Amino acid sequence: MQAPQQIRFSLASLIITMLLAACSGMSNQPLRDFQLQTPRPFGYVIGDTIRHRIVVETRSGMALERSSLPAQGRLNRWLQLNDVSVTEQDGSDGKQYQIDLLYQQFYAPLEVKELNIPGFMLRFRQHGQTLEQPVGAWAFTVAPLRELVVRQDQHGEYMRPDQAPTLLDDNEIVQRLFIALTVAMGIAVRLAWLYGYLPGLPKRSVFKRALRTLQNLDLHHLPQALGALHVAFNSLHGKPVFLHKLAEFYQSHPEYRSVADELAWFFDYSNRYFFGDASILPQENDLQKIKTLCLHCREIERGSR
Amino acid sequence: MIRKLKHWLLWATLAIALLVTLTQLLQLYGLAGQNRLICQLLAGKDVGADELATSSPEVRMARAVYLGRHQRYDEALATLNLLLQQSGAVAQAQTRYNLGNLYLRQAMEKAQAGNINEAMPMLGLAKQAYREALMLDSNFWDAKYNLEVAMRLLPEMDRITSGDDKDDLSQKTQLWTTLPGFPRGLP
Repeated sequence: MQAPQQIRFSLASLIITMLLAACSGMSNQPLRDFQLQTPRPFGYVIGDTIRHRIVVETRSGMALERSSLPAQGRLNRWLQLNDVSVTEQDGSDGKQYQIDLLYQQFYAPLEVKELNIPGFMLRFRQHGQTLEQPVGAWAFTVAPLRELVVRQDQHGEYMRPDQAPTLLDDNEIVQRLFIALTVAMGIAVRLAWLYGYLPGLPKRSVFKRALRTLQNLDLHHLPQALGALHVAFNSLHGKPVFLHKLAEFYQSHPEYRSVADELAWFFDYSNRYFFGDASILPQENDLQKIKTLCLHCREIERGSR
Repeated sequence: MIRKLKHWLLWATLAIALLVTLTQLLQLYGLAGQNRLICQLLAGKDVGADELATSSPEVRMARAVYLGRHQRYDEALATLNLLLQQSGAVAQAQTRYNLGNLYLRQAMEKAQAGNINEAMPMLGLAKQAYREALMLDSNFWDAKYNLEVAMRLLPEMDRITSGDDKDDLSQKTQLWTTLPGFPRGLP
């Protein structure tokens, strides 16, 4: 019984050792997953850009030497490196680098021609030691844009004309104008409604009419003045308003609470004037108070009080 | 109090909206004027200097195009050089392209007049301008085409035949010695 158990145990240990060895071998590789990602290698014309991407994973502690990347600018007569960008990401065991190189070629071939983007050496550094990873040259073909026979027009050799400027775009201004006009119109309509200028809304201008009537009345016409204000309150409320029913009036028109004292005085004064013992002697001050009340009610009516 | 505040806020908003409307109307009027100038210049009629003084870069570009069409190269060059410092990336590519066209046209005229020595630096400048335009906008097809025209007029043959693409920029001056002449098409 012991022998097979021993064999099983040693087999298991062997497998574990092999797995550990394999894993440690993987993580010991200084560079992993080196890729040069390139676009199609044909069909380019003068001025085209070519984007290369290098993806590489490194062992922890290993850093890319940025000076080993080609410098931005002209690489040779027809090739230019417009942009170099390196993004660095920390992985579980080391770092992942993504290097983007944006080339632009300015070769004017007479026929389809193969060109090479030169290769270079990527250098990595760890503990003072340097490791180099070659990035191979990349071949691609360029094609001409023009025919071999020189094309002529009335001015000589054919060339593309000047770029005329486009007309200035007024879309944004028109949009802003439209928005501002809409807002202005909306507010104007709202104010016209508040001020009772809109036709078909007589309830919005009861005190406006009353104020107009009151303006032309003097102390001799006090009954007419009181009557005009009563008519205004009644038509606003939809039914007669009395002193003892003021609470009901405030319930449906709470905005008039702010002149509650003046209203109470007015209804009391009116009661005494019309139904009292005729002891009241009308005074100029009373008419003025009635007019002021009407003015305050007008202000409430249009929302400015 | 809140009712009162709301009321005056309405008036204030109305005033602001009316002010914005007015300024936008004025801007629209100004813009229409600028567009009229552009159309006038592109139709081949010059505009006065006082109108240009406060004009937008687009109007000045239109004037540069007008000047180029009427062989007033120096004035066109001055106008475009001013535009190089002012406008945004798209307009800058356009300005550089028009600058390239200006140099290329002059180079062609000089070459046709047999003045090759003066034409060559012009071609170099044209190529540089087109290159810069393409660096700003690599999909600028007119710039690609005209750069190829300039390249054919002043080919860089030494680099093609040498087979060495790692040529250094210090040899650039040799380009002028390799001009094989201006191709005139088939007989």
